[in-house]
Amino acid sequence: MNLIILRRRIANGVALCLSAMATLFGLFWLVWILWTTVSKGAAALKPRLFTQMTPPPGSDGGLLNAFYGSFVMIVMAVALATPVGVLAAIWLAEFARGNRIGAVIRFINDILLSAPSIVIGLFVYELVVRPQGHFSGYAGALALAIILLPVIVRTSDEALRLVPAPMREAGLALGLPHWRVTSKVLMRAASAGIITGLLLGIARISGETAPLLFTALNNQYWSADPKAPLANVPVVIFQYALSPYDRWQSLAWAGALVVTVFVLLLGIAARLLFKQRSTR
Amino acid sequence: MSATDDVRPFARVLTRASEMRARRLESGAAGDRIFKLLTGAMAYLVLILLAAAAFSMFWGGRLAFSTFGWKFLYSAQWDPVARQFGALVPIYGTVVSSFIAIALAVPMSFGIAIFLTEIAPGWLRGPIGTAIELLAAIPSIIYGMWGLFVFVPFMSLHVEPWLNDKLGPSPIIGPLFTGPPIGIGMLTAGIILGIMILPFITAVMRDVFMAVPDALRESAVSLGATTWETVGRVSLPYTRTAVVGAIFLGLGRALGETMAVTFVLGNAHEFTKSLLMPGNSIAAAIANEFTEADSPIYLSSLIALGFLLFIVTFIVLAGAKILLLRIGRLEGERA
Amino acid sequence: MSTWGADDPSEETLLEEVRAAAPEPKIQIRNLNFHYGKLRALKDVTVNFDARVITAIIGPSGCGKSTLLRVMNRIYALYPGQSATGEVLLDGEDILDKSYPLGRLRARVGMVFQKATPFHMSIFENVAFPLRHYEKLSKAEQAARVERALRQAALWDEVKDKLKQSALALSGGQQQRLCIARTLAVSPEVLLLDEPTSSLDPISTAKIEELLSQLSVDYKVIIVTHNLQQAARVSNQVAFMFEGEMIECGSHEQIFLHPKEQKTSDYVTGRFG
Repeated sequence: MNLIILRRRIANGVALCLSAMATLFGLFWLVWILWTTVSKGAAALKPRLFTQMTPPPGSDGGLLNAFYGSFVMIVMAVALATPVGVLAAIWLAEFARGNRIGAVIRFINDILLSAPSIVIGLFVYELVVRPQGHFSGYAGALALAIILLPVIVRTSDEALRLVPAPMREAGLALGLPHWRVTSKVLMRAASAGIITGLLLGIARISGETAPLLFTALNNQYWSADPKAPLANVPVVIFQYALSPYDRWQSLAWAGALVVTVFVLLLGIAARLLFKQRSTR
Repeated sequence: MSATDDVRPFARVLTRASEMRARRLESGAAGDRIFKLLTGAMAYLVLILLAAAAFSMFWGGRLAFSTFGWKFLYSAQWDPVARQFGALVPIYGTVVSSFIAIALAVPMSFGIAIFLTEIAPGWLRGPIGTAIELLAAIPSIIYGMWGLFVFVPFMSLHVEPWLNDKLGPSPIIGPLFTGPPIGIGMLTAGIILGIMILPFITAVMRDVFMAVPDALRESAVSLGATTWETVGRVSLPYTRTAVVGAIFLGLGRALGETMAVTFVLGNAHEFTKSLLMPGNSIAAAIANEFTEADSPIYLSSLIALGFLLFIVTFIVLAGAKILLLRIGRLEGERA
Repeated sequence: MSTWGADDPSEETLLEEVRAAAPEPKIQIRNLNFHYGKLRALKDVTVNFDARVITAIIGPSGCGKSTLLRVMNRIYALYPGQSATGEVLLDGEDILDKSYPLGRLRARVGMVFQKATPFHMSIFENVAFPLRHYEKLSKAEQAARVERALRQAALWDEVKDKLKQSALALSGGQQQRLCIARTLAVSPEVLLLDEPTSSLDPISTAKIEELLSQLSVDYKVIIVTHNLQQAARVSNQVAFMFEGEMIECGSHEQIFLHPKEQKTSDYVTGRFG
């Protein structure tokens, strides 16, 4: 056989082998990390995780106040970011498709999307925590909302732009005003994409720790008051993991497992929803 | 509106109906104006947010900037007691750990992207693609915890002693690999960061390769090129700019990552060249020390660090986006 | 028809009177020019469309027939780069005039598109939603109007048992008839159809063509079609366009059997397509 062709074939084989190995490499880390989380977290998974408060060092307890605080802040963040994000996306998709300012806003939005979340935390600290003089759940919710906003803007914008032009024209041709066509016709047609984006955004902010360090901080006790520091899962994990207490560390792992499962479930839900609605 | 009575009663009837409707419809126009204003305001809010974030951090850091001036950027002194702060150690750590992350993630992402687009059979692409995306979904604090409790011991028991022995004595790179094998340090942090940014770079690279026009790839294959040659000689040059964009995107994320590295960097304040020694990154420094900041200059220095991070990531991410605009153009040509 | 006063004549009497009276052109177009940015797509088009007949606009691909149709309800206003100059008179009023309200225009002139676009709602809602925007109706009146519109579109029998189901579950032909019903529900005077059957199977096409001749009794129907056979089957008046110009407009017999222009003759005999 021609030597040159042989050499090329070998080079090809080697390259393809390496890329298969690279894939295995990537999967290897995934499996290792997930396995660790599941095994260490499961060991600490007891019913009292969901029924008791965060304990003082050395005792047993749960993460109830942390779950509650995270829940409250996520709900507030969604309530704040979703209307703003969807309205902004409507403007981008309906009035700013080809023009300069639309391109600029989309560009900036994408940068905000990948911006370090710690920077957002500092921003809210300067904006809210410093003037008020104390940490609060509201500040934490605001930080999460600012992280969530670009996700919603981007996914909603893409979903709305996918709605075929004839549908928009059909609504307008019936004599309906533009805002009516958008709110009743276009939003419905784009709803699958918008909700998927929202679910993915929630998955993302559920695990965010850094911004909460400077805004909501943490609260050892049961507190439902967002005006004060509010307990939340990521910061609790952070503090407990770095502590020297065994029981706190195992609680941290349990919390880590719950957060991971939650995030993965949201991802699956988003994927299923998208498939179901778009093939209807 | 010439509604004459003698002709066309039907038309008269219809015109009346139209007028009734017209009353209902006039309100539509006003509603549309409000609609456009409201949605536009929300869109501009995105711009305002970015500007406000940049400004507020500059404002918070102004004390540090005015006190230390340019020295802030290259001084390695970080002394809360003496109230002297310099950003060199965190900057160095950020750059080094990100560099390690990129060095690790880029070849791997490249390999995975090739695997997904060229080699994997159809039924395998979905699951493997999803699995890689899972890596992105895992919250960074999980990476941090896994890093501290599992990976660090692994590094300190198996990898770092080996590095110390084999590479420590080497002439130029030797100093990079000497140090007590405690596991915590910039090398470990860099590796963890690399795994974190792997899925992002892979996703972009995969999109980039898929945007190469079939016609181009097919003509290479029909000339007898192997898969590897098609990728290396045809796809890659075609998508060169976008690939660099993907690398920049990964870099942007690595620079700003906090939780994954805070656990394993060690929060050191002395400058060391060795990768095996504890170091610091901008994000980790802010996260670790914020609650301990007891003087205005301390706080201001931390916020100043945040401002630096913001500016650097903004430039890197903007660069990435501009380079990636090329994918959009590629797909446009393909269509 | 509960919106008219007690001493107004019934609809049937009115229709008879309309038919008896001398028909005036419903739509008169004078020197219409249309631009997509710098490209001039319609060149000085002047033509009359008679009331109560089906007008078919025919011509080869790219001749401007859809563009002409879309001027009549100013749907092009949605796109910044597109503009029209000239006059388009609907019952004597210039609808291209900036002061003529778009809402009122579109209430009088309805449009059905090439691709059926049912809204992501139930069948009932698709028809009721635009109707509700115009008139305040009781639940019973609403149901009656929806039924009437669906009957007019020859769809009622097929969907009367599943009004609450999603409109997306209907077949292509049914969806298109639903779009027609939706347009009819708001009682327009003119019905514009842009190649409504080009993506449908022959049976659905036949059903819709049958529908059109019934509709032409009550509405002015203008249909754009690239299918000469369809134009031959369906129309009373035919307008032939070529490269943005209105070449000839006349009765069905005139265009197909005794065309005045050479280009018309070439097109209808298939010399070019």
